[in-house]
Amino acid sequence: MTTVTIPVAADRGARQVRLWANEVGKGMRLLRRRWPMAVVGVLMDAAVYLGVNFFLGGGRIVTELMVLTLPALLAVAIAQVLAVEGSGGIAEEINGGTLEQAQLSPIAATTDVLGRVTALALQGLAAAAVLATGFLAVFGLHYEPHPSAVVPALLIVLDAVGYGLVIIALTVRVASIGAITHVFNMVIMFFGGMIVPIAVFPDALEAAARLIPTAVGVQALNTTLAGEPLSAAWADGTLPLLLAHTAVFVAVGLWAYARNLRRAKREGGLSPR
Amino acid sequence: MADAIAYSGLSKTYGRGRDALTAVRETTLSVPWGQVIGLLGPNGAGKTTIIKMTAGLITPTSGTVRIGGSDIRRDRAEAVRLIGAVLEGSRNVYWPMSAWENLLYFGRLKGLRGAEVRPRARRLLTELGLWERRHQVVGGFSRGMQQKVAVAAALITDPRILLLDEPTLGLDVEAARTVRDWIARLARDEGKTIVLTTHQLQVAQELSDRIAVIREGEIIADLPTAELLARHAENRFEVRLDAPLDGLRASIPEGARVSEDGAETRIVLPDADTGALYEFLDRLKESGAPLTAVARAQPSLEEIFIRLVHDEPAGGRVA
Repeated sequence: MTTVTIPVAADRGARQVRLWANEVGKGMRLLRRRWPMAVVGVLMDAAVYLGVNFFLGGGRIVTELMVLTLPALLAVAIAQVLAVEGSGGIAEEINGGTLEQAQLSPIAATTDVLGRVTALALQGLAAAAVLATGFLAVFGLHYEPHPSAVVPALLIVLDAVGYGLVIIALTVRVASIGAITHVFNMVIMFFGGMIVPIAVFPDALEAAARLIPTAVGVQALNTTLAGEPLSAAWADGTLPLLLAHTAVFVAVGLWAYARNLRRAKREGGLSPR
Repeated sequence: MADAIAYSGLSKTYGRGRDALTAVRETTLSVPWGQVIGLLGPNGAGKTTIIKMTAGLITPTSGTVRIGGSDIRRDRAEAVRLIGAVLEGSRNVYWPMSAWENLLYFGRLKGLRGAEVRPRARRLLTELGLWERRHQVVGGFSRGMQQKVAVAAALITDPRILLLDEPTLGLDVEAARTVRDWIARLARDEGKTIVLTTHQLQVAQELSDRIAVIREGEIIADLPTAELLARHAENRFEVRLDAPLDGLRASIPEGARVSEDGAETRIVLPDADTGALYEFLDRLKESGAPLTAVARAQPSLEEIFIRLVHDEPAGGRVA
């Protein structure tokens, strides 16, 4: 039999990149098999968003409101994919034993989970792109974005990734995470700027809402989508808060995942539940 | 050269206080390269915990596991390179993905490049009779085929050590036989070190060079298979006939143990008296009974296992 030599330490960094890419590829292949679920998710988000706008408009669609809240819908779509699919995926892997098999490799826990969330972020971005294209085309929404709008947009995706990481980490520890994830998603949906911009909330509620994943990012994005430069978002405090929020969520998510994985190994919790 | 696997003072306790449950106690054992060791024990004896501690999937409460000299906790990346595993009660592979996609994924997961994995995946799938269905999702396969994919995924990097936890559990006779033949081939032709747990003791007897019996987290017997069988061989003669006993009952010496299995009759004489044996054989000859074997009485591994698990005093170890 041919002996296969596995490189050990020489290209450790390059190897972790290959392992990450392998996880992303796996995530995309799994997504390909469950695309009908993704389509249903997009349709549900669109229906809820339209229904709320129609209700708030007293029986008509308010496109002026839509211009301000559409970015939040897109952020919610990405965050939901990361949390719901991320949590469901890792729970299925625990129950199916494939998470244990993943531990039988040189992949670092952080590389493993970053690969998973990268695939989910791509799925979320695809959902957001479909929603954005549909709403812009159907309702003729108009934006005059500053080129720097791409910065808060990317940070929103990273913030959603951080949120997904935290939920995935919790799933390794808490078997009945489904209900908790649902509550968190509802909070993001209702208080993250998708119904009305959070700037219209009372001050205390707005301050609290800014701590919700993606909410402050949507505020910063709306500033740049209105043609203001990035410095305006920095000056009003939304951009610094977004940077801090994203950094904290990503760091806590990665740390909690690695910690809960170690804890699960101590308690035998990686086995099917 | 370091042993393939070395456990030193390995213990595992789940929970704390009153709820604490000790699954494995102070286990020290070494498995040399190329050996097939069967871990046998009743449900809850600690077999799966040992297998998972070997793979680094459960952290021991105390003690160490060394794989080819590398500590599974401190040098995990180094140690897991040597291991492939098929775990009990798990799918082990991704059912929504095809067999081909699974093998490519698991090969790359172990750090190999696609170009290295593809020829090996092709060979494994061909040998396991799955090549024609390589692009079908594993979820649509029969249980036996799914287990073959799991075995192939465990072998994709040609690991020197295989951990097989109930690899034939839930398989039909034919699929179980295929997997069993594969394990035998891997041990015989490729010199793999294999740790095998199974409740099918015939399989363990057939495949294992060595048997370790575990009861309540403790190893109570650890011997080469042949020696374990020899130690429990009885100092009596056993006569086998290819016929039912029917008219021969009167000829059987007093105290003999008789068991019938279909057309075959097994008679274990009460002692090792050769005179009594010849006398009995003469009577059989006169009656024309079709004799098939005369040998020293040898209990099966299953009988030995039951004796060990039920009769061996706590704290003892046959080694």
